[in-house]
Amino acid sequence: MPSVLEKIRVLGENSKYDICASTASSRTDKYPKLFGDSKNWIGTTASAGICHSYTPDGRCMSLFKTLYTNKCIYNCKYCFSHNCKKKLSFTPEEYARTFMKLYSMNVVEGVFISSGVCGSADDTTEEMLEAIKLLRFKYNFQGYVHFKCLPGVSQYLLKEAISLSDRISINTEASTKDYLAEIAEQKDFKNDIIMRQRWLKEIRIKHNDETLKVIKDLKQDAQLKYQEKMIKDRRNNGYKKFRWDGAPILNSGQTTQFVVGAAENESDYDLLKRIDWGYKEVDLRRAYFSSFIPIEGTPLACKQAAPLAREHRLYQSDWLLRIYHYKLKDLKEILIEDDNLPIGDPKIHLARLYFKDHGLVDPNQASYSDLLRVPGIGPISAKRIINLRSKKFKFRRRQDLKSVGVVLKRAEPYLLINGKNQTTLQNFIYQDNNSAPQEEMI
Amino acid sequence: MKNSTIKKDPLEIIGRAKGHSYREIIDKLPRHCKFSPYLIDQVKNIPEVILRNSGTPFAKKINRMMREVTTEAYRAKQFTRTEINNRGVLFGVVLLKHKVLDSVLNYFHERWPQCIICLYNEYSCKTGVINEKGTIQEIDAPLKSVVEKVSKNRPVIPYFDDIQFSGKEIFETLYKSQFISERENKSYFKRMIPDKCFELPGMRHGVEKRFRNKRINEFL
Repeated sequence: MPSVLEKIRVLGENSKYDICASTASSRTDKYPKLFGDSKNWIGTTASAGICHSYTPDGRCMSLFKTLYTNKCIYNCKYCFSHNCKKKLSFTPEEYARTFMKLYSMNVVEGVFISSGVCGSADDTTEEMLEAIKLLRFKYNFQGYVHFKCLPGVSQYLLKEAISLSDRISINTEASTKDYLAEIAEQKDFKNDIIMRQRWLKEIRIKHNDETLKVIKDLKQDAQLKYQEKMIKDRRNNGYKKFRWDGAPILNSGQTTQFVVGAAENESDYDLLKRIDWGYKEVDLRRAYFSSFIPIEGTPLACKQAAPLAREHRLYQSDWLLRIYHYKLKDLKEILIEDDNLPIGDPKIHLARLYFKDHGLVDPNQASYSDLLRVPGIGPISAKRIINLRSKKFKFRRRQDLKSVGVVLKRAEPYLLINGKNQTTLQNFIYQDNNSAPQEEMI
Repeated sequence: MKNSTIKKDPLEIIGRAKGHSYREIIDKLPRHCKFSPYLIDQVKNIPEVILRNSGTPFAKKINRMMREVTTEAYRAKQFTRTEINNRGVLFGVVLLKHKVLDSVLNYFHERWPQCIICLYNEYSCKTGVINEKGTIQEIDAPLKSVVEKVSKNRPVIPYFDDIQFSGKEIFETLYKSQFISERENKSYFKRMIPDKCFELPGMRHGVEKRFRNKRINEFL
């Protein structure tokens, strides 16, 4: 009988390529809780971003991240557990106890539960849910839980997972059906993954509508009585109707993860297209990218590793799509051969292209969207500039911009401060010819 | 003239990220170990713009003091390693130079509302205790005796009794299992854990202190 330590060593190592952010829950007191605030709860998600431990590669390790089992019916070519000879599984009790111990030591912040598919997806998911139920109802843990859905899991289990976790994710792994077939031939792209993503969206919307309606219908006094009743019924099927603590929404939404560079010829544009689809169609909260690393003993052991810089550029572009609301067609303009992103910050590439046609930006006149296109100006500093302008303030000095949070080093080449642009080498080249085109100066 | 330029300055916008407001300074500065009421009087005479922008050596000093207070509290929350006994008493050791023990205690109280939390401050040699109601007390006694005294009248709580085993080895194993050698990034690691953090009691002899069996200072 393998010890818990052995299980953590093997299953922890098997899950190390799964990526998750540190306790990215937006669960706050903003939403009323149907079950009320019980004093018995343990843990919070309020202090998001607190990192308790860092691994030697510098990443923050704030979640208890292990597989539930590494026994798997799938034979994905890139997968670490493909090569692992020791096949182990936690029991729900073991998993919950170990996590609570680590949480009491203040070394982890929440749970990230993922698994191989042992037998069928439903069987494994049921066991994983059992572990989470123990955490929620035996140990009263109300902190962060990230639940990884297995491909092909049933809808009723997805519903239950939603009611127990803060975030749910399904690994897409590749951008299209063909690319997925190349690296994980047993997985059905449309049925096992895309359909589940759509279900998650539907369940979430329905869930929100129902709970908000109940909250709206209940008057204050009735709501208190209702809360008391629900607390009593919580251990029986009460929680299944709503979220486990009565909050009306699944706060952290759904995410996905891609293996970058595992499938031959899969371009950055393919991946960006899939993410863009996800944001529009299935309410994806965000996407994670994991550069392909060849693992000995797997069918892709001889394949070259994907550069980490590629992963970084994809994150930058994803940020532009998600936070800056760039359109996919904008990003398409800067792609180089094979539809990959060029080396360097995509925002700088986009700015070079955009300001070539539109001229330099005067912070005293530019629109919000133009300001946002300048590298070194983000949504917050752009809002501050607009806010100040509405108070009739004029930006005349570099310091004025610096004080509102603009990164001048990056922004200056595109700005016209007090009618003047940054002096660059180009200015000296064209000093004899004052009519040098402005776009060339950029 | 002077007033009008101050009014126009962009540093006055609400929601600026840099620096601290008067209110924050008045609230947090007294927590600094080298605080004197004279400082607050001086702070009140300086325009907020200058304070926020570290415009004078004095403003710089105030900002430094504020930073010391906030980072100490933040690091104590991150790196304090705690234990829990079967009677629901959570305890640990901290090293706090400034008066931020209450904020650290409150942080743990939010996580473990039904527990009594005892944190021994190695700097002042006192133990801070927060009970279930959120009342804070500072006791001039070592941690062990305080924990024993507090635990005496409390019943055994089954789910805390469940987790009475050593977690150190478990954490070390989990920690080692997460390292991806292909993504090795020494400079990032060094940046993430400053040397100061290793002086904290929870971090002494901790696994995070090492990088492939080498102490972090060998890289610095």
